[in-house]
Amino acid sequence: MGRLHGVRRLEDGRIRVRLSTREQDALRMLPGQILPILLGDHELGAPGSPIRERLFPSAYANDPLADMEFREMVGDGIVNTRADAFRTFARTLDQGAARRFVWTIDLTPEEASAWLSAVNDARLTLAMIVGIKSEDDWERGPDPRDPRRVMLYYLGWLEDEFVTALMGGLKEPL
Amino acid sequence: MAAPGIAPQRTDQPDADQWTERDRPWSVIVWNDPVTLMSYVVFVLRKLFGHDEQTATRLMLRVHHEGKAVVAQGPREKAEMDVFRLHAHGLQATMAQD
Repeated sequence: MGRLHGVRRLEDGRIRVRLSTREQDALRMLPGQILPILLGDHELGAPGSPIRERLFPSAYANDPLADMEFREMVGDGIVNTRADAFRTFARTLDQGAARRFVWTIDLTPEEASAWLSAVNDARLTLAMIVGIKSEDDWERGPDPRDPRRVMLYYLGWLEDEFVTALMGGLKEPL
Repeated sequence: MAAPGIAPQRTDQPDADQWTERDRPWSVIVWNDPVTLMSYVVFVLRKLFGHDEQTATRLMLRVHHEGKAVVAQGPREKAEMDVFRLHAHGLQATMAQD
C-alpha cells in the first residue's frame, strides 16, 4: 500500500504522484497564497521583509555594495523562474485523473522539478509565517487548529517524497 | 567602499608573476537553516555539483552540525554563478574571498 500513495519514479523517467483528492484540493490553495508573496505583490513578501530576505538572500554577507551589484546581475530571473514553477504546479494539479478519491498524475522530469521548487518555496514561506526559528520549533508538531501548520508538516512529507524520487534519476559520478 | 577584487589599485597593473588579490579564490558557503530538509540539501548539492551521495551527505552534515560549510571554491565569476544556482534552489548561500 505504501508506495501507492506518494511519489515515485517510473522506468521512463516520469514521476508518478498519487495523492488523495483531499490532498490535491489542499495543494490547490497554495499558489494563491504563496505566489503573491513570492512576486512581492503581498506585504509579507515586500522588499526588506524577512520572508523576501529568506527567499532571495544576500550573496555577500558583509558587503552591501557587492550584494547590490550581484542582485542587479541576477535581475528578475530568479523570481520569474520560481513563479513559473508555481504556475506549472498549479496547472498540473488540474490535470491527471481522479478515481474513487485517489488522484494520479505522471509528471515530466521538468514538471516534477517545478513541484519540488514550489513545495520548497511554500515550506520556506509558511515556516516564516508560523514562526519556525529553530529546529526545536518543529517539536511542537502540527497544530490541527492551524491549517498553515498542518500544511507545513504535510509539505515536509511531500517534499521528501519528491527528493527521493528525483534522487533516483541522478547519475553517480564515475 | 569597493568590492574586494575590483579596487582600481589592484587591477591597474596586472602582473602575471605577482600574486594578486584577485587571484585569491572565493569560497561558496551554504548556511544551516531550520526549515530546509536534509535530504533536499543532499539532492541540490548532488544536482548542482555532481557529488556522489556520500560526499553530498558529508557536506550537508557539516552544514547541519557546524552551521555552515564551504561547498565550492573558485574564481569570483564562478562563485557568483554557484551562489545564484544555490539561491535559485532556495538554499542560503553566500560567498567570501579566502
